Amino acid sequence: MRLRIAYTKKEDAKFIAHLDLTRVFERAIRRAGIRMVYTEGFNPRPKISFGFALAVGTEGEREYVDIDLERGLELGDVLGRIQEQLPSGIRLLEGQVLTTGAKPLMAVLNAASYRMRVPMALPIQEDRLQEGLQAWLAREHVTFSRYSKKGPTDKDIRPWVKSLTGNIQGDEVVFELEVEMGNAGSVRPEEVLGSLRELENLPLDLDNLRVKRTGVHVSYQGQKSSPFELLAE
Amino acid sequence: MSELTAAELRRQVEMFLPKVLKPSRYLGSEWNAIKKDWDKTEVHMAFAFPDVYEVGMSHLGTKILYHLVNSFPEFLCERVFAPWVDMEEMLRQKKLPLYTLESFQPLQAFDVIGFTLQYEMSFTNILNMLDLAGIPLRCEERKEEDPWIIAGGPCAFNPEPLVGFVDFFLLGESEEQLPEVLRLIAEQKKHPLPRREFLLRVAQVQGVYVPDFYHVSYKPDGRIEEIKAEPGVPAVVEKAIVEDFDKAFFPTKPIVPYMEIVHDRMMLEVMRGCSRGCRFCQAGMIYRPVRERSTETLLKQTEELVRSTGYDEIALTSLSSGDYTCIQPTIQSIMEKHSCEGVGVSLPSLRVDSFDVDLAESIQKSRKSGLTFAPEAGSQRLRNVINKGVTEENLLAAVEAAFQKGWSNIKLYFMMGLPTETQEDIDGIADLAKKVANLGTQNGRRNVNVTVSTSIFVPKAHTPFQWEPQESHLSVKLKQKYLKEKLRDRRIKYNYHDMETSYMEAVFAKGDRRLAPLLEWAYKHGCRFDGWSEHFDQETWMEGFKELDIDPKFYANRAMDYDDILPWDHLESGVTKQFLVEEHHRALQEARTIDCRYDVCTGCGICPGRGVQIDLKG
Repeated sequence: MRLRIAYTKKEDAKFIAHLDLTRVFERAIRRAGIRMVYTEGFNPRPKISFGFALAVGTEGEREYVDIDLERGLELGDVLGRIQEQLPSGIRLLEGQVLTTGAKPLMAVLNAASYRMRVPMALPIQEDRLQEGLQAWLAREHVTFSRYSKKGPTDKDIRPWVKSLTGNIQGDEVVFELEVEMGNAGSVRPEEVLGSLRELENLPLDLDNLRVKRTGVHVSYQGQKSSPFELLAE
Repeated sequence: MSELTAAELRRQVEMFLPKVLKPSRYLGSEWNAIKKDWDKTEVHMAFAFPDVYEVGMSHLGTKILYHLVNSFPEFLCERVFAPWVDMEEMLRQKKLPLYTLESFQPLQAFDVIGFTLQYEMSFTNILNMLDLAGIPLRCEERKEEDPWIIAGGPCAFNPEPLVGFVDFFLLGESEEQLPEVLRLIAEQKKHPLPRREFLLRVAQVQGVYVPDFYHVSYKPDGRIEEIKAEPGVPAVVEKAIVEDFDKAFFPTKPIVPYMEIVHDRMMLEVMRGCSRGCRFCQAGMIYRPVRERSTETLLKQTEELVRSTGYDEIALTSLSSGDYTCIQPTIQSIMEKHSCEGVGVSLPSLRVDSFDVDLAESIQKSRKSGLTFAPEAGSQRLRNVINKGVTEENLLAAVEAAFQKGWSNIKLYFMMGLPTETQEDIDGIADLAKKVANLGTQNGRRNVNVTVSTSIFVPKAHTPFQWEPQESHLSVKLKQKYLKEKLRDRRIKYNYHDMETSYMEAVFAKGDRRLAPLLEWAYKHGCRFDGWSEHFDQETWMEGFKELDIDPKFYANRAMDYDDILPWDHLESGVTKQFLVEEHHRALQEARTIDCRYDVCTGCGICPGRGVQIDLKG
C-alpha cells in the first residue's frame, strides 16, 4: 500500500540533507518492523519519494513523502510505529492511503510558501518597507545573478514569485513569500530577498536570515490545496 | 563549564551550519547517540577521532569504546571529530572552541580527552584539535583544570613522536583497561594528587605508558643510547588483553548517522587477532592471540543490531574473516533469519587462500560489484619473504571461480618496495595481472576489469620488518613508472599510492620523541589532514625538517641493527623481540612460517603467562 505522509522537518532534522532523508525514513521503518516494497532490478531500493527538496538548514512545517509498504496494515498503527523511530524534529502530521493510479508528489506539487525573518541592518520605516515591496512586485522582470560552478548566470526570478508581503516586528522584518515550483526550476527565498535589498535599497541583514518553509501546495487556477485534498475528489 | 555556554555555542554554530559542507557531521543528535546528564556523572570523557566524521564513525573501535564508557552509570562519553577545513575556518573566524557533538560542551570542560591513533598521518590533526579547543599543546603547559590528554590504538605501540603532548598512552585492548583508568580519574577529581603522583598511580594499570617516567638518551650519531625507566613503573609496558573475548563488551545499539559514512552498515567483530604471520603487518602482530566469538553470541548481537539500527547490511569484520572457523554456519543462520527483512551480509576482508566462491556468491546481493584480493607481492619468492601464504594457483583458482560465477571486476592489491624486492618481482605483478585478465576473457567475461593497486611498503614497529628501511623515493618512482608501462592493457587499470605520503608515514612509524617539535612546527605551518592527498603539503614538511635540522632519512631509510635500541623497545605487544628477529632471519632466507592455528606453536610469545590463548570456536 502506498502512503502519503505530511511531516515536519525542524530542530536538528533541518540540517539533514535531502539525499540523506530517504535513509532516515528507510531505517526508521525497518526499526519499526514494517516491511517496505522494493524496486525491481539489480539494486532493489525501498520505494520512498519526496516532494521538492528543502535546503539544508531551512525548517519545513509541512513536507510530504510517499512510501510503499506491505499490504494489510492499519494506517494509524503504522504512523505511530514509524513516529517512534524518527529523530525528534521529524513529526508525522497526517497520513493517507493513496488510491492506485494516484499521481506522485513531484507531479502534483507546484508551489511553496516561506516565512523569512531578517534583522534590519539599519532601521526601516514600515511605509518605506511597503513602498519597496510594491515597487519590487510592480517590476515585470527581475534579473538575478546566480553563482554556480559554471560561473554567474543571469535569470529572471520575477515570474516565479506569486506573492510577497512583509511587516516589521521588533527589530526584524517578517516576510511571507509564495513561489511557483516546477520541473523548470524555481527561485530560492534568499534570492528574492537579495534582489529586494539590492533593487529597492532595503538594509536587510541577510547573513542572519532565517527561512522556514510553511508549506508546499498544489496550486491550480489561483486555488491552493494540499496533495491530500486532491485525493478526496 | 556552565549550561549557558554550551547553549550559546550551539546557537552560534547553528547560525553558520547551513553554510558548511555536510552539516550533519557536527550535530550529535543521531539515532542512538547517548546524551547523559553532566551533573549526575563523575567523569566526563571526550572520545576524539583525529579525522573527519564519516571516517571516525566507520571505525569499530570507536563504537565499542564510546558505548562501553557510557555503559557505566558514573561515566559520560561524548564524541568529537576533526572538523573539516571549512568548519575549522568558521570556528576560528567566530572564535568558537571545538565542542563535542552530544552536548556542545567545549573540549576544555572535559576531565579527559581520549584520542585514537589509527594512522600516523592523523598526528597533526590531534595538535590542531587541541589548539581549536584552546587547550595548551604541551603537557607541562597544561594546568590542573585542563583535561588529561590520553591516546590509544595501534599507533600507541610507537607513540614517541607524540610524547610531550599526550599525558599517557593506553596499549592494547581497552575494554577493561579504560574503565580502570577512568575510575582513577574519578578518584583524582575527589582527592587530587600532584600530577606526578597521579601519573604514577595510573602507570600501574596494565598497558598504561606514561612517557614522563621513561628517559631517553642518545649516542653522538643520533641512535638511542638508553631508555631508562624510573623506579616504580614497569621497565617494559605490556599491552592489556581482555579476559574473555566472547563475553567482552560489544555495542548492539550503535549510533546510526544521518549522512552516508564510509562503512555505512552494522558491524560484528567475529574474531580478534590474526596469526597468519605476514611479516609486514603490524595488526597481525599486535592483536594476538586469535580469539573467536561464538556463533551464538554473534546471532544474538545481530538480532539486537537489526532491531536497534534499521540498517540493511551487516559486515562480519576481523583482520581476516574468511579464517573465522564458524563463518559458514554464522552467515547461513544470519541469512535464514534476516534476509526476509532485506538484510544482507558482507565480508570486507577475504584472503585468497580461504576464499570460497559459493560463500561469496551466497552473500552477494543481486549485483556482482567486484572482488578484491591482496596477493601483496608479485612473485612466489617475495610472497615467501613476507610470509603471505598465498600462491599463484590459489589466486588464479579463486579468480577463475569468480569469473565463472559472473563477476568481471577484480581488484588486486600489491605492495611495492618490500625487502629484497627486485625487478623480477615487479614483472611478477604485471604477469599476474595479465593472467587474471586472460582468465576472465577465457571464461567469456566481456567487460573484464582488473584494477591493480600498489601501495608503498612502510616498515612498522613491532613487526619482523621493523629494522628494514623504506625504499628510496627515486627507485619507488621508477618502479611505478615501469609497472605503469608494463600494465598497458585496456582490461587493466593501475593505481598507485603517493610516495610522499608514505615517506612521512615511515618517518613517524619509526620515529622517536625528537620528532615532536617537527609535528608542532608542521601543524603551526598549516599541515593537517595529511592522509588526504588534497591537503598533504610535502613542501612544508620538508621545510620543517630543514628548519629543525632533522634528517628524515635517518628514520625512514636507515636499516637498523638488531642490537640498536629501538624507540619502542620499552613497549611490548606480547610478541617477543626474539621472535621478530627470528622471523626477520627467516624472511631473508625466504622461509615460510606456518600459522599456529594449523600447525605447531611458532613461539611468538603471546600466550604464555598472560592467561590468554588461541580460542577457536569451530
